[in-house]
Amino acid sequence: MTAATPVAPGPLPVAPRAGVAVPGLARLLRLELRHNAMLWLLPVAGALFWFNGYREIMALPPMWNLRAMTLQNRLLLDLTIPVTAAAAWMGSREGRRNVADLVAGTARPRWARQLATWAATTAWAEVACLACIAAVYVMTARQASWGGPLWWPAVVSAAGIPALTAIGFAAGAWFPGRFVTPLVTIVAFFGLGFGTQAASGDHSYWQISPLTAGAFDIGAAPGVATFYHYLPDLSIAQVMFTTGITFGILGVLGVSSALNGPRLRRLAAVIAAAGLAAAGTAVALAGTGRLDPHGMIVIPALHDAASNQPVRYTPACSRTAIPVCVHPAFAVFLPAMTAAVGPELTEIAGLPGAPARISQVAEVYQQEPQNGIVSLAGVPGGSTFILPDQVPGEPGATSAQFAGDLEDTLGLQLIRDVILGENASAVAARPSQAQLAVIAASVRPGSVWLGPSAADANAPELSGRPLLALSSPAARAAHRFAALPPDAKHAWLAQHLAALRAGRIPPAQLP
Amino acid sequence: MNVEITELTRRFGRNLAVAGVDLQAGPGVFGLLGPNGAGKTTLLRMMATVIPPTAGRLRLLGRDPGAYGPRREIRRRLGYLPQNLGYYPGFTVVEFVEYFALLKETPAARVPAAVATAIERVDLGGKARAKLRTLSGGMLRRVGIAQAIVNEPELLLLDEPTAGLDPEQRVQFRALLRDLGQRATVVVSTHLVEDVGAACSEVALMDQGKIVFQGTPAELTARGTEHGTGDAPLERGYTAVLAAARS
Repeated sequence: MTAATPVAPGPLPVAPRAGVAVPGLARLLRLELRHNAMLWLLPVAGALFWFNGYREIMALPPMWNLRAMTLQNRLLLDLTIPVTAAAAWMGSREGRRNVADLVAGTARPRWARQLATWAATTAWAEVACLACIAAVYVMTARQASWGGPLWWPAVVSAAGIPALTAIGFAAGAWFPGRFVTPLVTIVAFFGLGFGTQAASGDHSYWQISPLTAGAFDIGAAPGVATFYHYLPDLSIAQVMFTTGITFGILGVLGVSSALNGPRLRRLAAVIAAAGLAAAGTAVALAGTGRLDPHGMIVIPALHDAASNQPVRYTPACSRTAIPVCVHPAFAVFLPAMTAAVGPELTEIAGLPGAPARISQVAEVYQQEPQNGIVSLAGVPGGSTFILPDQVPGEPGATSAQFAGDLEDTLGLQLIRDVILGENASAVAARPSQAQLAVIAASVRPGSVWLGPSAADANAPELSGRPLLALSSPAARAAHRFAALPPDAKHAWLAQHLAALRAGRIPPAQLP
Repeated sequence: MNVEITELTRRFGRNLAVAGVDLQAGPGVFGLLGPNGAGKTTLLRMMATVIPPTAGRLRLLGRDPGAYGPRREIRRRLGYLPQNLGYYPGFTVVEFVEYFALLKETPAARVPAAVATAIERVDLGGKARAKLRTLSGGMLRRVGIAQAIVNEPELLLLDEPTAGLDPEQRVQFRALLRDLGQRATVVVSTHLVEDVGAACSEVALMDQGKIVFQGTPAELTARGTEHGTGDAPLERGYTAVLAAARS
């Protein structure tokens, strides 16, 4: 130690630099960034997301809507533990490290000091969040056949991070013990998880949870935000909510310390009030939501009618006897679709009543009480169809199941429409045994119900599927007809379709 | 006077830690002596504006710290080393001192030079890049002193500053105190009377929350010529005054 009047020595790490004037708060933030617990937890955050979210998201079909909405559903929950823990740890730092007296005697307001620490924690947490989003979006951009990134789900996740850090930081600052970090982390994790499970119906206040992407019982579905634009109504409310929570908590943090001075506390009180008001308004807005026919939540006060317009696209079509055209986002499934219904297409191509081409249309949803949502499908038959709810890659959905579902729906629909002609959609239509035999022979086993006794033949349709009595002449005829190649079936139908529709052909006459 | 204290009192529940203290101090090194539990640390914490007094009047650097604006102004010109120095183990010496320079609202452009100067003054230039967790207790104490003087305070409050310092460092530290005392009011709370004798121009002795003696070290020494016990003259004065106060 020296008593002499010192001159600034040269080789210290923080040497004065001419022409560089970094503001005090920026210097403080830089120091906090260097010494932040969240920096050390970045690998943990990345590993958690990779293990829980990334692998599942990337296993989904490469569709922007599916992956972006699933990302919103997973990312924040995966990051909750490291982010809240780091924030609580940093918030309790002064108390744990016994520097409270030391910093209490300094001029900079306590709130400013706390905000610098919180901001650094949040900045690193946002780095983790944005890196996870980037990883998913970059990979999806390489794989997706159509469309571009959905930004609102990413924005909601990113806006949720400051709320998590604010909750953790405030808990740490108010209760600076060692146990507050695990405690607040557990509470935040289960609170966030519970919030998504509590939603009930399209008017639920709980859908304000930033993990909720879309209507509760639909969520990330392939057809949502494909034919129509992604509606940001709920996302806007969620961002408003998380931002409000962030400002509210930080404001209360400023108000709670008398060390901040009256002017700063008044400012903090205004910020807290504005934040809490915004959060409350967002919850109220979420409660006014209603299910859009296209599977998204509309909040009237936030809704822009211009976003109701369908998305323009050029369909992707197959080179089959009857072209199958799908939304380009589904182009990846076209080979599987044509493989599944190819025989039916060959069989009916060119026949009277057969469509020149069939096109995928959007599913139409309707809210029922509580969480029930029904798909009205809205398929008029003939030339339009909807794809099964689950496409290969979604949890529990396999390619075989997808193909089977297509045969059960699209394949059956195509054959029925052609064989039964104009009466296909009539409830009163009672198909003849020969018509049932041809239909049963043209679709995969299981698409047609085989009744155990001849008595079932009196009820020729059940649950929309034709019913064929086992061991009946019609069943034997169906077996014979099914053994024919599609071209032979087509040739026979071309000659006998009119008679078949008119009910003049008994099962025994089937080849 | 940089420090003007009148009837200053501080209670912690039923415990009266500081009981109606009167004190004035101008530029120079002011020693605050007293046994454990005498109220020195509490008095220093009030002077550091860390805790408010329960009663009495306190003026620091000509301002009333009871109001937020003046208190903030005082804090810009204040240096404080608490008895138990908390620190962030992951910070380097430079970063820790810079952190406090920024908290004391030292103009940003002056921070690097101020930090470098403070670190050199406590002779830690060679350890500037070392993490605090790697330093010895004595070095940490010097880091604490560096953060206290980084803003070139007009009022410097040091609570047991020489605890953990080796004899050579204590000698250097006393020289530093004398130098600082030429421009600022330095209040040093200690129970090491030799520090007071070597560095202080004025001394007060506290016992049971009250100031029982205030004068120069020579005057305190004179009190012990007849009744005091101890190895050094100042120690004898110290014990004599305490005995008289308790009798």
